Amino acid sequence: MTSPTARSSAALLTAVLALGCGRPGGDSRQVTAYVSADRPFSEPIMQEYQRRTGVRVDVVYDTEETKSTGLANRLLAEKERPQADVFWSNEPVRTLVLKSRGVLASYQSAAAQGIADTFKDRDGYWTGFSARLRVIVYNTAKVPAGDAPQSVFDLADPRWKGKVAIADPRFGSTSFHVAALYAEVGDQRADDFFRTLKANDVKVVDGNSVVRDMVVRGDALVGLTDTDDVNVAIEAKQPVAMVLPDRGGIGVPVMPNMVSLVAGAPHADEGKRLIDYLLSAEVERRLAESEAVQIPLHGGVQGPRNIPPISSFKPMTLDYAKAATRVEDVTKRLATILGL
Amino acid sequence: MWGVWSSRTFVIGGAAAIFAIVCVLPMASMLWGVATAAAPISLLQSAFLDARQRRLLATTISLGLSTAALSAAAGMLLGFVLARTRVPARAALRIALVAPALLPPYVIALAWTSIAGAAAFTLFGAVVSLTTAYFPIAMLATEVGLRRVDPRLEEAALLVTTPRRVLRRISGPLVLPNVIAAALLIFVLAVSEFSVPGVLRVRVFTTEVFSAFAALYDFARATVLSLPLMLVSCAAAWAATGSGKGLIVTRRSLRHVTTDAFDGWSAAGTVLASAGIVVALIVPVSALLIEAVRAQSVLAVMRSSRDAATNSLLLASLGATAVTIVALVLGYARARTTRRVGVVLDVCWLMLFAVPSTVMGIGLIGVWNRAGAAGFVYGTRAMLLLATLSRFVPAGALAAAAIVRAVPDSHEEAAATAGAGWLRTMNRIVLPQIRTGLLAVWVVTFILAFGEVGAGILVAPPGESTLPIRVYTMTANAPPGHVAALALFQCLVVFCPLALLGFVLARQERS
Repeated sequence: MTSPTARSSAALLTAVLALGCGRPGGDSRQVTAYVSADRPFSEPIMQEYQRRTGVRVDVVYDTEETKSTGLANRLLAEKERPQADVFWSNEPVRTLVLKSRGVLASYQSAAAQGIADTFKDRDGYWTGFSARLRVIVYNTAKVPAGDAPQSVFDLADPRWKGKVAIADPRFGSTSFHVAALYAEVGDQRADDFFRTLKANDVKVVDGNSVVRDMVVRGDALVGLTDTDDVNVAIEAKQPVAMVLPDRGGIGVPVMPNMVSLVAGAPHADEGKRLIDYLLSAEVERRLAESEAVQIPLHGGVQGPRNIPPISSFKPMTLDYAKAATRVEDVTKRLATILGL
Repeated sequence: MWGVWSSRTFVIGGAAAIFAIVCVLPMASMLWGVATAAAPISLLQSAFLDARQRRLLATTISLGLSTAALSAAAGMLLGFVLARTRVPARAALRIALVAPALLPPYVIALAWTSIAGAAAFTLFGAVVSLTTAYFPIAMLATEVGLRRVDPRLEEAALLVTTPRRVLRRISGPLVLPNVIAAALLIFVLAVSEFSVPGVLRVRVFTTEVFSAFAALYDFARATVLSLPLMLVSCAAAWAATGSGKGLIVTRRSLRHVTTDAFDGWSAAGTVLASAGIVVALIVPVSALLIEAVRAQSVLAVMRSSRDAATNSLLLASLGATAVTIVALVLGYARARTTRRVGVVLDVCWLMLFAVPSTVMGIGLIGVWNRAGAAGFVYGTRAMLLLATLSRFVPAGALAAAAIVRAVPDSHEEAAATAGAGWLRTMNRIVLPQIRTGLLAVWVVTFILAFGEVGAGILVAPPGESTLPIRVYTMTANAPPGHVAALALFQCLVVFCPLALLGFVLARQERS
């Protein structure tokens, strides 16, 4: 074992073995969470739970907005031998797809008692907390407040021709929004709306933050995006404001985070305790205070600045499960209608 | 030379087994998923016969061919400048010209969008972004190829003709196989790249594969949609196969040898190299820097990424080393086999290299997330190493085969006749002749492994992260300045050790 090749091989083997032995298990109390909520906001919460309880929290972070396709596909691929205990999603579609594919287990947390039934699965496969809204963002330097569109359907008006931006409706929170629209108003009206948008040269861009940036720059005058995206620009004193759409009509789309227990979770009891913590009023308060500006679903928790409380508007009365069943069909329809 | 039961058989058999388990099995498991899907025939029909897919295929091929052609042209010129002209500070120029390859391609695309605005959101914008990222491959291939050409051939030709004619008739044809091999690699990288067409909204097959995963959660459809990519790569490989015939090796050392043949072109070479650095490095990096300096609390973001950076360096180093070792053995086997078997191996490797990373990642989960020994590996950082191997061994083996072919059989035959075993012959005869080529394989693999996200993000164990995965998962709601700063940080982390390596090698060369 004196030649350079032999020495290099031995060193490599040792390093590979060291990697293999680096299994993050071994702690008597541990829980594994897959988190698709934005890492800057979710990581401090998971770290706080670990610090407070002494339970080792291993987290896989991802965000589908960055087009990685990560966690939902990973959970599906691991279905026969689950590695995760808890799935925390920042929007409903992925959770509902995973429920329909048998990846999730039922758990009704006592910590969710203060949350309205609308935001809870009746069978306990998911529980919503800390919501965002889908909103219309507009450029205040170029659009007077009185002229801003008040309904999603106003975006199809010819006066906004070439001036509307939306994120790719096949992905992320926009996929939830369009599925909800189809479920709410029916295929014919929704198809017509998107055909008109297409005829009006709607700009379909990469994500909700891109929509916001285009409106900030004036490349588009109005767009559809999420409350947290608009808030970043408002805090930065950019010339934008938001309209809660359809508050007098079909209602404002409310998009809660969803937390679920994974079926066959290796540490199910610890997973349930982590879910209890995530559904607590304290976590909702922290998410409301963060830049995520998420609206608490527990009554009595102080909401974020710049965002009105849920009690002040009419939320879209939405059957999340029904909306989820439309996602695949709506995705295919819109690929054709919008030429994606 | 050596019998069936020699160490050669066992080593090659071992490497082949690793290749089968790590690279072939994941894709085979995905294809099995297609075969057992509800309607596999209609799935296949939708991937090949649908008008939409045909349009996507045309765009994909245009993207690959344009990127390969542009990268090969730029790389050939710059490689020639580095190998044959007397440019000042050659090592520094080389490092600066290789640097764009260290930036994640999607970051380059973002930089070009901030420079060119709406004009970047076109097929041409995607070609420019990918060329910026990949031309260094063609440049290094050209330089390595020219170093194998004895400059005395060119000097002799100069006695009777002009430098331009020498370049066209002597140097160019001798280095052409290297350039074609690099162009082929770039073609496959370009057609299997997702992030740049994704950012620039150019619809190609990789974005369609992504949609199948991200919008429909349909593994079978995503796998079927990767088949055209594999077939396009297969066709490109067949088309390029003939180029290997013309490989003439007149000099095996890769040391830089000064020649006076092209001295008159040194000034023009310096201008060309400087222009390359400005366009490919300074312009996009400046755009990122301008974004980064506008942002607040950048240092805190970078500090929190320190562990991920260390993890990435360790894994990319180990991954590149493991890939180079396995690829060397496979490449050796390919170089010493018959031409027909060799072509089949080339095509297989290229097809596997074209498999989109997400498909490979899901395949790796299918193979390794099970009870028993495989399950012990799953959930550890070794999975990230396996992801690196599965993605880059095929390309490494292709490159290693080209390098080993430069060593004549007769050298090994002489060693065998003198009684040396295979391992001893490899260690003392073959490896010393190809070590610089292998170092190039290691460096390219290190760069690719360091930036790998698609497969790694699917198999990274809970609680572990690499720097690119961290950057990628931070980008959704982080301010653009943070994204730019993290991208530059990622570039610096990988650039510093490589620059050090480059200067050490240049110093050794001079001494």
